[in-house]
Amino acid sequence: MRIEPELKWHILLGCILFLSLMPIVFAVSSSFKELSEAYSNVFGLIPEQPTFNNYLQVFSRLPLVQITANTFLIAAAVTLFKTLTGVLAAYGFVYFDFRGKNILYFILISTIFVPFTVTMIPNYLTVSQLGFRNTVIGVILPQLADATGIFLLRQAMRTIPRSLIEAARIDQAGHLHILGGIVLPLIKPAVVSTGIMFFINSWNEYVWPVLILKDKENYTLPLALQLFISSEGGTDFTIAMAVSVMTMLIPLLLFLIFQRYIISTFTSSGIK
Amino acid sequence: MKKSMVKGICLGLVSMLLLAGCGSQNSTAPAADGKKVRIEYWHVNAETQGGKTVEQLVKDFNAQSKTVEVVARYNPDMYKGLMQNLQAEAATEKSPAVVQIGWAFLDYFSNNFRYVAPQTIIDAHFPQDKTFLQDHFLPNVMGLAKNSRSSQVGLPYSLSTPVLYINRDLLRQAGLDENGPKTWEELIKFANTIKAKTGKYGFYMQEPADNWAQQALMESNGARMMTNGKASFASDEGIRAYEAYADMVVNQKSALHISWGEGVQSFIDGNVGMLYTTIAQRANVQKGATFDAAAVSSPAWQGKAKRLPAGGCFLAITAQTEAEQKAAWEFTKFLYSVESMAAWTKGTGYVPPRKDVAEAENGLKSFLAENKMMAAATSQMDGVVSWTSFPGDAGLQAEQLLLDVRDRILSGSISAREGLTQTQTKINELLK
Amino acid sequence: MKPEKAGSRLINGDNWIAFSFILPSLLVFAVFMFYPLFYTAYLSFFDWNMIKPVKVFVGWGNYLVLFQDPLTYTVLKNTAAYIAILLLLNCAAPYALAFILSFVIERGLGFYKSAFFLPSVISLVVGSILYLWILNPISGPVALIAKFFGITVPVWSKTQGLVIVVLSLITTWKVFGYNFIVIFGGVAGVPREVIEAARIDNVPLHRIFFDIVLPMSSATGVYILIMTVVQGLQYVFTPIKVITQGGPDNASSNAIYNVYQEAFTLYRTGYASAFAIVAMVLFVILLVLEFRYVEKGVYYEN
Repeated sequence: MRIEPELKWHILLGCILFLSLMPIVFAVSSSFKELSEAYSNVFGLIPEQPTFNNYLQVFSRLPLVQITANTFLIAAAVTLFKTLTGVLAAYGFVYFDFRGKNILYFILISTIFVPFTVTMIPNYLTVSQLGFRNTVIGVILPQLADATGIFLLRQAMRTIPRSLIEAARIDQAGHLHILGGIVLPLIKPAVVSTGIMFFINSWNEYVWPVLILKDKENYTLPLALQLFISSEGGTDFTIAMAVSVMTMLIPLLLFLIFQRYIISTFTSSGIK
Repeated sequence: MKKSMVKGICLGLVSMLLLAGCGSQNSTAPAADGKKVRIEYWHVNAETQGGKTVEQLVKDFNAQSKTVEVVARYNPDMYKGLMQNLQAEAATEKSPAVVQIGWAFLDYFSNNFRYVAPQTIIDAHFPQDKTFLQDHFLPNVMGLAKNSRSSQVGLPYSLSTPVLYINRDLLRQAGLDENGPKTWEELIKFANTIKAKTGKYGFYMQEPADNWAQQALMESNGARMMTNGKASFASDEGIRAYEAYADMVVNQKSALHISWGEGVQSFIDGNVGMLYTTIAQRANVQKGATFDAAAVSSPAWQGKAKRLPAGGCFLAITAQTEAEQKAAWEFTKFLYSVESMAAWTKGTGYVPPRKDVAEAENGLKSFLAENKMMAAATSQMDGVVSWTSFPGDAGLQAEQLLLDVRDRILSGSISAREGLTQTQTKINELLK
Repeated sequence: MKPEKAGSRLINGDNWIAFSFILPSLLVFAVFMFYPLFYTAYLSFFDWNMIKPVKVFVGWGNYLVLFQDPLTYTVLKNTAAYIAILLLLNCAAPYALAFILSFVIERGLGFYKSAFFLPSVISLVVGSILYLWILNPISGPVALIAKFFGITVPVWSKTQGLVIVVLSLITTWKVFGYNFIVIFGGVAGVPREVIEAARIDNVPLHRIFFDIVLPMSSATGVYILIMTVVQGLQYVFTPIKVITQGGPDNASSNAIYNVYQEAFTLYRTGYASAFAIVAMVLFVILLVLEFRYVEKGVYYEN
């Protein structure tokens, strides 16, 4: 194929890319500026007087290692648990037939539509009664009731040719065997991509942790950001950007390191 | 293949254990020193708004107190956010000991939460402090923290008033007096001149999720937000003040109608000549502006007295047990010492609510001499009045109606007269 | 033909085994989803503010007030507008992009995929603060560039209608990449030979898209469709809260934000619960419609 007809598409794609990546560049650049320069030199992508001051301030004000560890721990636990229970439930829904199955599935899936504001108050009471306020567990627990995993993984399992399962059943294979030996390897891309989505979402979770976590030592990164934004005292934009950059850093790094793998699993995760 | 399953399950279990470990570590950490009473102090001070000062004050207090240990807890999203958290906490029948309550929540708080008036605790346990409040607070300042039934809910702590920040460079460029306008009438002329001469916006009045600055505008013209428990802002005076403001925005286009954050940003980067907002933004303006920025006192309407609602918060004692209440008073008293008050003003820009801080050597004397912007706020304290908090359960809804109508008036979709009159009727129906 | 039916013929009568697979999920759901839902439904019949010792029973009162309040209809109308815009930006647009990338261009595929995915790992709180600054209509970089070309940027955060568009765009910045990658997976699964054959026959690109690619990747499409509606509305919550708080005059509030506003700003817990229940019922109706009409035509590979 000649290059010429492709070029117009590349220009279009380039423009979209510019728009979507510019804010990230802007954030990084602002985080190395003094506040007054951020105001006066909006377009200068490379600061005239680069400074680490914003980062130093953040480090001196916050237990950042602890905060990052909390965020990671929460995201990892949520991802693991949700993926595991999702796989099990999806298996139950795809390969069994029992009375009320479709209704049960429908009810579970309907909960995807429940706005989190609906469950917020009762969940706060529950978490408090269990004594998990101001703990990472309190942040994790309500996040686990999420049916997207069941939905996604069920869709993936439905693509597995039934002859495979039939054969295994004829060989008297147990369910855990079938799940671990046949189903899981075949839907691995879907499992991984679901897991990545869980991780990212949980990493960036904001409204619920704000309600639950009180001490700085227990904070997650998105909460740390909130410390530098105040409507009444004004936002310290450059410090906020420094925290933002740190909030993005780990997901971005994870993505850049595993990008080949992530992209290829997503590409093969398409529900067919 | 079974192996991978087992591996997965193990991994899950290990992570659960890990979590459980972390959780218990966090939840069961008791006070390090069993003898000290441990109390919580809830505040809204982000790092950009005195957060450091809160920590320093608490640290200093803990260092000198043998009986009390205070834990400071930051609540995001200002007083509204703090009320949300307090609400959730109350639902679990727990409570911090000392809390900052925004003025707009005065009635809602006193109707719905359990609190102890400071004087009650003093009378019961601290005879030596019997006259502390009388001695150190002006009656009109103390009055700010009285609810609609005239009971003293707490002690005024953070006091802010609206001031006018000006971009002197821009004023000079437009051929205007670099000391800024003294009256609203002048301000309107200034704004129009800036627009005409420089093409930039002349004026922005803060538009957060409250009606604070707009109350200053209307009440200074002789209107009252409330009279005898009924909304009364849609009087001729109130409407005329609002009309003048709306005229700048809608017809002259010399003033901006935009969100608070955007408006402040636009002033600091030099695109708006004058900014009417709280003195608490002082540090932010000073740090960001690259032009000759100054703050002047709130303008008055020609021939009328200023009435400026007090912003900020009061401290309420919500401790439930006797031991905690005593601890709470000890801490509160510490916060009102001259040194603590001075540190508070330096860290936040709030005006000290107690007497003798501004002039004292160990207080703010030298700070005020150096920091000219603060003078704009400290010099107008005689005009301070209560920030209207509508009474009853529907009070918060009433406030929301005022915000909604502000958007409609400033976007030109309704006249100030019609909008305010309608809203007043609606609010009075709610308050019934 | 539905594969799960096929599966069910294979394994039968093992009800308790089936339940043991679903049980872990059910337990979590029971505590943190169904119980709160019932509690919310219960609260919707009371006048309460979360802390008053007495809950006043008002029967259907909250619902009656709700249906008489013009604000309810504003909010529902806004919600519909958000859904429409989000569907366009986060479902239709990534679809077109995935098509272009899979079948139209040949170079730079890997790079584009990574680059488009990138913003979706970033928190929306961060995105909202960034965009508030970048899109400041008076002094943000976008406004300054526009000014250079003699264009005045409207004050979008205070303009009815426009505010919904801009908040949706900010949300799109976050959601687009993820949706794009998933759709790309579906689109790339369409056999190349089919496309090549169509191209040799000189079938125009848009026909290839609508007649071949769209139907053959419809399972993925439906998934993204649902996710766009469901998660899109939840995602929009963050920019609304950070930037407009539902304003101007409720022009940017949607069903989810309004529940939050009533419950946590105005403390009308009972009323907020009633609103939440109504919103939920509407969403579930949407879901039923989707199951009824859309999924019928979905193409599954085996």
